[in-house]
Amino acid sequence: MDNFSETRHEVARITCIVHQQLSGEVTNCLRTLGVQSVLVESARCVRQRMRARFSGLPGLLVNLTDDPMEIFRTTVPRASAERVVRALAATADLHTPGHGSIYAQDLFEVARRCDPPEIQPGVDGDEIVLRDMTLLTGILSMAGSGDALAGIALKLGAAVPVISLGSGTGIRDRLGLLRITIPPEKELVHLMVPTHDAAGLQRLLIEEGRFDRPGGGFLYQTPIRAGVVDPLMRIGRQEHAASIEQVIAAIDDLKKGTAWRKRFLGLEPGIDSARRLVRNHREIGFICTEGQTAAFVYAAMCAGAAGATTARLRRLCFKDTDDGVAACERGILCVPAAMASAVVDALCQVAVSCGDPVFRLQLIDAPIVFSHQRNGESQP
Amino acid sequence: MQTLPKIHIPLRAAIAMVRDYARSRVMEQVKSVAFIILYLIGFQMLVLRTAPAQALQISVGVGMVVFGLTFFLEGLFLGLMPLGERVGLQLPQRGGIVAIIVFGLLLGVGSTLAEPAIAALQVAGQSVTPWVAPLLFRLLENEPGKLVISIGAGVGVAVAFGMVRFYYGVSIKPFVFILIPLLLIASVACALDPNLNSIIGLAWDAGAVTTGPVTVPLVLALGIGVSRAIGKQKGGSSGFGIVMMASAFPVLGVLILGAMLNSSTPAPVSEADFFSPAHRQTALQLVDSDNELLSMAFQRGGETGRQAFFADEEKYRETVTSLKDPVVRRNLLGKMSLQEWFLQRASDTERAWIPVEFLQKAPLTENSGSEIVSVLRVESGRAMRAVIPLTALLLIVLLLFLRDKLQRADEVVLGIGFTIIGMILLASGIHLGLAPLGDQVGRPLPRVFQSVALEEGRILLEPFDPGQVLTSFQLNGESEQFFYLKDRRGTPRPVPFDPARYDPQTQRYEHIIKRPPLFGPKLTLAGIGLVLLFAFGMGFGSTLAEPALRALGRTVEELTVGTIKRTDVVRAVSIGVGLGLIVGVARILYEIPTIWVVVPPYLLLLLLTFWSEEEFAGIAWDCGGVTTGPVTVPLVLAMGMGIGGELNVIDGFGVLAMASAYPVITVLLYGMIVRIRQRRSFERTEKANENG
Repeated sequence: MDNFSETRHEVARITCIVHQQLSGEVTNCLRTLGVQSVLVESARCVRQRMRARFSGLPGLLVNLTDDPMEIFRTTVPRASAERVVRALAATADLHTPGHGSIYAQDLFEVARRCDPPEIQPGVDGDEIVLRDMTLLTGILSMAGSGDALAGIALKLGAAVPVISLGSGTGIRDRLGLLRITIPPEKELVHLMVPTHDAAGLQRLLIEEGRFDRPGGGFLYQTPIRAGVVDPLMRIGRQEHAASIEQVIAAIDDLKKGTAWRKRFLGLEPGIDSARRLVRNHREIGFICTEGQTAAFVYAAMCAGAAGATTARLRRLCFKDTDDGVAACERGILCVPAAMASAVVDALCQVAVSCGDPVFRLQLIDAPIVFSHQRNGESQP
Repeated sequence: MQTLPKIHIPLRAAIAMVRDYARSRVMEQVKSVAFIILYLIGFQMLVLRTAPAQALQISVGVGMVVFGLTFFLEGLFLGLMPLGERVGLQLPQRGGIVAIIVFGLLLGVGSTLAEPAIAALQVAGQSVTPWVAPLLFRLLENEPGKLVISIGAGVGVAVAFGMVRFYYGVSIKPFVFILIPLLLIASVACALDPNLNSIIGLAWDAGAVTTGPVTVPLVLALGIGVSRAIGKQKGGSSGFGIVMMASAFPVLGVLILGAMLNSSTPAPVSEADFFSPAHRQTALQLVDSDNELLSMAFQRGGETGRQAFFADEEKYRETVTSLKDPVVRRNLLGKMSLQEWFLQRASDTERAWIPVEFLQKAPLTENSGSEIVSVLRVESGRAMRAVIPLTALLLIVLLLFLRDKLQRADEVVLGIGFTIIGMILLASGIHLGLAPLGDQVGRPLPRVFQSVALEEGRILLEPFDPGQVLTSFQLNGESEQFFYLKDRRGTPRPVPFDPARYDPQTQRYEHIIKRPPLFGPKLTLAGIGLVLLFAFGMGFGSTLAEPALRALGRTVEELTVGTIKRTDVVRAVSIGVGLGLIVGVARILYEIPTIWVVVPPYLLLLLLTFWSEEEFAGIAWDCGGVTTGPVTVPLVLAMGMGIGGELNVIDGFGVLAMASAYPVITVLLYGMIVRIRQRRSFERTEKANENG
């Protein structure tokens, strides 16, 4: 069914990451807004916890602590994106530190049935949103490396890292039974950083996070159209009336952007890291019924992709007429722009042949990608 | 569509990959069993001051436990759990509610038949006597089939209920609040009847041990699959709760069976009455024949029972003397050796009837042969029976009924193979290594708290010269005779001389070796404290190595994206088991009625469940069901038997039930701590907002 790939819709993907306590309110808000279905993924966000040393010794103990979060993803017409972001930010009170973050990304969506929801009027808030943000996504293979990267990101003051889990497929599946010797578990680290600093932070994360070693992982940028960040990087003992992150968030709001805090000026990139940074890629994300991923990944690999990272999602349907499939999976591939069309076509063909009712595919630019792989190929 | 070629890995690289993979997995298991092994050996050497016997066999056994755990867990994660989850995922979509209920019933009953807990229960009840607890004896010895069916039916109903709960997205709390009070009320009602009172411990222990190491991960994976497919529950950890029900319903099943059989079971009587010829017809309701009754008198009874059995004193003496004949001995003592009977059951009069020199010549144990091979053979059969029928049921449902494909079939088949190999090695290793080690520590444990010297053995000194006996005087003028005897190191030690044990005709002197109490003849409180400490450490250490708990911990960590760490869950459960064992052992030591140790923790659990969050309630109650697995049960039983046997307690029941209840308390408390910590950042900002 060729028309599958012809029907590319210009939409915005809304990603709302909130504390688990707020998930009910966000779900109700999305239902009120008129969204048909939403994909929910479990995650955790990592923060630094400061506390006094035992026995009154000088200095503070800093360790990492995590909160249970839920990631809500849905697509809306681009024209409604900011209203939805504001409405959700107001509902979950995302300007209060610790509640979570939200962002909208412009992308193309291919779906069997794409009826963009008619966003109900009167529910948008007057929240201030930032427009010069970038999403850094790290896909890491080693157990515990997500926490390590999160620790570095917090140390650099980059953002509050959000970690979700996934499984790697690709070369591993071509090893036969020897694949069991390679753990498939992946940790996905999501960082919402200022666009002006994205490249600098990416380089620092690559170097300090040891991405430039075999098995180190994969780190790429995707653009954000608008969003609200969670500034609560540290909890526990505070020495001042407001933390530095809260002060920065307040100035961001006053200046309506993050350009004022560009800081990685004159940063020399590591030679090796720079060589491996590749440009002009696409992140292809597809959603399918749980258990169908293997066929899609296989088709994508046949079309040239090196592999994919899959994650389990829960699908909430707000319309009675929907198919009612709750257990879904999301596959992420990062491929060179030249290869994207072929991969998209291959994925759409599988969707047609297996008749997956929930299949949809999302395509977004990934301008700067880093992988240990020499050719920088797609190996998330 | 083009096909992807398989990547060829050179042999050397492949070997290196397998080596690294195997090393990491084995080291993980070494860490998990290290605590319990070092703890047992340390306790034996430092507290009991005895050297581990059968060191080679135990070392081989421990090695087998490590490799068994490695294979078993890897097999679960590669094969059984993905298979179970796949079936759970497809069942609601393609089968519907009726199919779910039927499958749940089949799986529950099948798992109980495949992994019969009855063997462990029979070990716990091996000292049960038909005169003190006739109903308990009848259930365990005469009608174990009915007992297995009642437990199986309980598990079947539990799995079916659990699946229906996921299907309709019902919270676990109403089930806990209805089921547990119902069980407590039923137990209290049973406690009022002397016969039914004896089966309360059995019922609660049946609930604890019924969920085996294969069933638990399978049921867990299945529940997670169904829960994901339905998608009605929020949060990451939906899918828990079936194991809890699989622990609770069998309790009800056993109590109902007991109530049904109670009217046709004789009432408890004294030992003398039970064996007396006048009471023979009633006794034969519980024991098949006169011969079995006689062997019962020898194996479980005392001198009173044996005397009562024989109206004629001469016949009684003749039968005891005939124990010299191996055939008679096998008939009357069963697997018990003559030495064991001599030390545990015989009275001084009976001992005098058997010549000491014969006792020294009699073989120490009645069984012989190559033990490792026979254990491997037996355990292979059990492992096959535990894994293959359940796997076959899942495959049949998945492939034929649900018409689904088996994803990564090679991996699943390899996983099932690993599970079987792992189970064989694990069970054999426990049989050869861990259980004997636990036995070596558990059985002499009463020495720690008892204030009397215990007889360890007898030696015959021949020829003995009474002229070498010396006399020692105390300050008050009292005298005591003694002579010097060389110990194992060849150092002469003074030992007391008892003139009654010297036979001038044969010039033989029978010396009884006694081991003094560890804490002196009067101090017992410190000894009891040490026993309780030992119980805690053993419960803690053995639970750390429990495979089903490790599978549950990993599942919890995955579903909560690491906000609840597997190591924390395992530790919380292990602490709970340790505390449970303290209570269980205290129950044996102080002869506290089972009902008094069962009811209070469960009432506390109801309160904690009420206060705790939904997702933690499911995890915590499931933890209670997974604790009593293949590693913990033999060790706990060895300890329970050691203490219980020495104190002549009717049975060792109740300890396992405690090891099942207290982990739920600790995990619920741990859950509350985690939630308080996680809400700290959230609630603080909430309050700030309200004030602002």
